[in-house]
Amino acid sequence: MTIPIVPKLLRAHLGELAANDARIDGRDRWEGRELEVEHSVLPRAEGSARVRMGDTIVFAGVKFQIMQPYPDRPNQGGLMCSAEVRPIAGRHWEAGPPSPESIELGRVVDRGIRESGCIDVDSLCIIPGEKAWQVILDLFAISDDGNLFDAFALAGITALRNATIPAERFEVGEDEPLMLSKTPIMCSYHRVGGRFIYDASGREELGGDERIHITLGDDDNVHSLQKGLKGIFTADEFEEIMSHACDRTKELRKLIS
Amino acid sequence: MGGYGDVQMIDENGLRVDGRGPGDIREITIETGVVPVADGSCRMTWGTNEAIVAVYGPMEAHPRKIQRQDRAVLDVAYNMAPFSTTDRMRPGFNRRSREISKVTKDALESVVLLELYPRSKIRISIEIVSAEAGTRCVGLTAASVALADAGIPMTDMVVSVASGKINDIVVCDLNKEEDNYGEADLPMGILPNSGELVFLQMDGDLSQEEFKQAWDYNMEAAQVVHEMMVDALKGGESQ
Repeated sequence: MTIPIVPKLLRAHLGELAANDARIDGRDRWEGRELEVEHSVLPRAEGSARVRMGDTIVFAGVKFQIMQPYPDRPNQGGLMCSAEVRPIAGRHWEAGPPSPESIELGRVVDRGIRESGCIDVDSLCIIPGEKAWQVILDLFAISDDGNLFDAFALAGITALRNATIPAERFEVGEDEPLMLSKTPIMCSYHRVGGRFIYDASGREELGGDERIHITLGDDDNVHSLQKGLKGIFTADEFEEIMSHACDRTKELRKLIS
Repeated sequence: MGGYGDVQMIDENGLRVDGRGPGDIREITIETGVVPVADGSCRMTWGTNEAIVAVYGPMEAHPRKIQRQDRAVLDVAYNMAPFSTTDRMRPGFNRRSREISKVTKDALESVVLLELYPRSKIRISIEIVSAEAGTRCVGLTAASVALADAGIPMTDMVVSVASGKINDIVVCDLNKEEDNYGEADLPMGILPNSGELVFLQMDGDLSQEEFKQAWDYNMEAAQVVHEMMVDALKGGESQ
């Protein structure tokens, strides 16, 4: 990813807007963009979703492979989650090996899903010590207008919730749905014009500072946190964000359940 | 080409596994403006193939060594998403996608008026999110719609169609099952207004007569697809 030249004018403009408690696209501070979630949209994937948040569009696809369980966990399958942001998604994304930004994206989404324990890895075992399912979640950006984190996380969990284990194709039994016991949801906040806002657009990311990502489970349990980019934040600011995340994750969870 | 001649893929009435006649193409939808942050874009479904193409530019060509003083360069990348195939496609470098990117670039550079934009670059990203058979044709065709959507001047759009042979019968636009048992594949990139070609590949085994038939099927199908491309560019979605 090339670092775009941050236009000083944009930064100044975002600062002025913030002073009047306004945002560049007219939203209020805690308001998300228009959201569309569809599932089972990709015929070759065992589970899939497409999420659109404003002009940000992403796909998530679930594939299964048979793996040999790790020697120290002979009764467990595994989850692998990777994110790819290719040049199709925006003029500042470039071809080549995965950039640190896209690796961070994949890992933060992965931790939220993995640590929530929503996938029972013991149930993925086929023959102890020999065969187990590996669930592979691929996140793929089509259009980046900011906040790929939340779009990826929402598409990812939606795709997993609608996935089918293709046991017949691998000749190890009958197809069955992948069972998920929880629905972890991520909310992301960016500092723009000096204060934190929810669901930053591309321009707000470009003219903003640090970001904070929070993944909460069904009972508001915290499953992953990440602070990204240069910046300093206070405990009070974090408390305000966390309280919004508690409300917003419930709304989003209802939307995809 | 598989060439398993004993598998019957065409019934006694001459109909194919999905009910098409030998010269019929699969169902196609075309939509533009699907990547809001791009300068031009196209989503094309063709059977259960789905390609999404974004065009960025003309913009500064960098690194500088790729610049041409008298014309623009096209930076074409064809890629299959990891979930686009039955067995997961591992992301990263792959000889097949490099070759398809190159022949697609060669085809498109033959129609884009490159000399209008010296020292610049036009980036064309072709992403296959669902693959059936014939993804290179879908990618190239969708790329010309995306270029037109971006307002890039071209002498004509490229329509790419493939015909092949199963059970010794020449048919147009092979689907996945037919492709598995196919005995030949002839993809072509056709300029529908002049009938000229900018892309041609072939593998398999065709007699001179069969080759002529496959060629004619492609030429006819290109006209049908071209009408849909024009409809989509004139407004909204085309079925």
